[in-house]
Amino acid sequence: MTKRTLAPRALIGENRPTLWMAPLLAVVTLFYLYPAFEVLRYSFTNASLQRPDYAYTLHTYASVLSDPVLYKVIRTTAIFVLASIVLQLVLGLVVAVAANRARRRRLPGMVFVRSVVLSAWVMPGVVIGIVWAIVLNDASYGLANLLFAAAGLGNVPWLSTPSMALISIIIANVWRGTAFSMILQYAGLQSIPDELYEAAEVDGASTLQSFWYITIPQLRPILLINVILITIATLNTFDMILPLTGGGPGQATEVLALRTYNVIFREYSLAGGAVLAVIMLLISLALTVGYQRLLRSEGAL
Amino acid sequence: MKPWVVRFFGLTLVLVVVGVVYGCGGSGGILTIDRIGREDAPKTMTVQLNNSYTHQNSTTQSWADGFEKLFTKFAKDYPDWKLDLKIIPDAQTTQEQARLLEEARTGQAPDCANVDSFVVAQFVEQGALKPIDQYFTKEEINGLFPFVRDIVVGDDGKMYAYWWATDVRVLYRRTDLVPEAPRTWDELIRDAKTAEQKDPDVDGYLFNGGRWEGTTFDNLAHFWSQGGELVDAQGKPIFGEGPNRTYMLNELNFLKESVDSGASPKRVATITDYSEFESAAQAQSVAMFQGGDFQYPPLKESLPPEEFNKYDVSLLPTMNPNDPQKTGTGGWTMAAFSDDPEKVKMCMEFTKDVYIGEGNEVTGQLPTNPKYFDTLDRFQAPIYDKFEEALKDGEARPGVPVYPAISQQLQIAIGTVLTGEATPEEALDRAYKNSLSAYEEQKK
Repeated sequence: MTKRTLAPRALIGENRPTLWMAPLLAVVTLFYLYPAFEVLRYSFTNASLQRPDYAYTLHTYASVLSDPVLYKVIRTTAIFVLASIVLQLVLGLVVAVAANRARRRRLPGMVFVRSVVLSAWVMPGVVIGIVWAIVLNDASYGLANLLFAAAGLGNVPWLSTPSMALISIIIANVWRGTAFSMILQYAGLQSIPDELYEAAEVDGASTLQSFWYITIPQLRPILLINVILITIATLNTFDMILPLTGGGPGQATEVLALRTYNVIFREYSLAGGAVLAVIMLLISLALTVGYQRLLRSEGAL
Repeated sequence: MKPWVVRFFGLTLVLVVVGVVYGCGGSGGILTIDRIGREDAPKTMTVQLNNSYTHQNSTTQSWADGFEKLFTKFAKDYPDWKLDLKIIPDAQTTQEQARLLEEARTGQAPDCANVDSFVVAQFVEQGALKPIDQYFTKEEINGLFPFVRDIVVGDDGKMYAYWWATDVRVLYRRTDLVPEAPRTWDELIRDAKTAEQKDPDVDGYLFNGGRWEGTTFDNLAHFWSQGGELVDAQGKPIFGEGPNRTYMLNELNFLKESVDSGASPKRVATITDYSEFESAAQAQSVAMFQGGDFQYPPLKESLPPEEFNKYDVSLLPTMNPNDPQKTGTGGWTMAAFSDDPEKVKMCMEFTKDVYIGEGNEVTGQLPTNPKYFDTLDRFQAPIYDKFEEALKDGEARPGVPVYPAISQQLQIAIGTVLTGEATPEEALDRAYKNSLSAYEEQKK
């Protein structure tokens, strides 16, 4: 084994990573680590946007963690994230499989279909929120209710009852996120060798069996990465909910990210918002580590 | 064609294009996208303005044109000054006030800025604003509506911001469905239900009930009209105790009753935008709504004349027939943050020349001094007599640090009451407890 030294030549010499990594480290430190450190630092203060001075304290943590609202918000967030993961994964897979089949059969219009699906993904969250607020307006002139009325069904209280409002924000989020899931899974499907399906066909496997025993196992790493990305994106979603429900009625659709936004920008509590941001970070980290372990064990298999 | 001819015409074309672009940048260079005054002017002041109140207004051309004229005139009148503009998109003005507070906290605020009347007191408390009394006469200050003076004049008796544009909440009603303006809450609910019987396609009464500031603010009128007070002289929440608790419960019960009785649809719990009322008016699906004076011009523009003529405006109904008809007032101020007295003076000159009176004339937003209702052409229509009348009983939100937290709690309380998640008592107790906690946190 070669003995490692910390001599300058060992650090900055040719073929050493230090020099070429330096710009990257500088960017990461300046734009990621420093702001994250500041959030962490503020979480241990009583800082408010309303006064210039602040003191270091653990009281903000105690106050946020003992607030029953936090647990209601975490519950709402869990439902929102879980439902989004399941629906985005399943719907993304359905669209990806359909698109892949169409590609194999060289059906026309696939580029158009992919572009349409992608358009939902590239739209800013605020725009999606406004669009869905118009579609799901509870009034008789709301687009969804107009369609329901045309079909002879009554008005649906999309946003005015707590449970339906939660379902509505899940629908809007799934609409946005399915496109991304589809793109990932479509790429994954294309990497599965055709020979596997041909061999299965020779062995007399049905379409469902091919899907279950070839497609799903081959896609598993992609699906896990997809779950991580959906989790992080959904946990951070508030821009879409803000124009759609504002977190209401009451607090029925106030997720953790929106709560953080409200605490900082509406209640001006910098420290309270920082504590919530740290809680979000810890939840994201815990979930990511869990998923990564799962991914690693998949790799070992 | 010879090469020198091509080069000559090419160069001329480039010069013409540059000249045109420079010219379009604004009045021969004294008004550009982000600057008022000549670039080489010796004195500079940084000014933060809402997009609406600039020549860059992208939604109302008449406002953009009006401010372009005012800015150009100002630049000509003060050739030694250039104003570097930071223009805030209208959709971000709420967040921007929080950022401005942060900038003021770290001493990085602009020299002069638009400040929401609703947060002025917090800037005053922070010591971020400079007194501006000396730039106005006693008559000009004393002539302001009382609710304006209450906010812009600090505890030390000095004025810290000039509140130049305001608005007021009133009751809009279709007179074919509700001929007489309701005076009390009971009459409002009764009239709303009668209107629904006359025309089954309409909702009797719409109001802000969703998760946003408008919900707290608009409905506070019902609390204030009973004599309710949100906070005491020290800024501590008191709306959940003593007679104030009764007043707030009355307000919540009234809102609940309006939904439970069918006078209002459940969807009021989702309304987070005044434009929702205009949409309902255009769809001819509302008999009455609690809106702002600022909705009168767009309604007039968007409704066919025969439909618009059905509408009338009245003061907000109250619990008892003799209660004062209080109403919420908001709007924007101009305030100076600079330590340089010359810049503070220039900030106020800019406010006087561009916004006070002139800015009201351009925007149609209500002036804060009754004299302008008599002198400005824009406010001579009879409807403005009603708005002026309403302003006399105007009430501004208390400018205390805990108000934003109270507002959040009351939004949640109203939402949970309207959806039946909580009784008025439960919702009020929770809102009060959380508001007190926020107050205690701020005191630490």
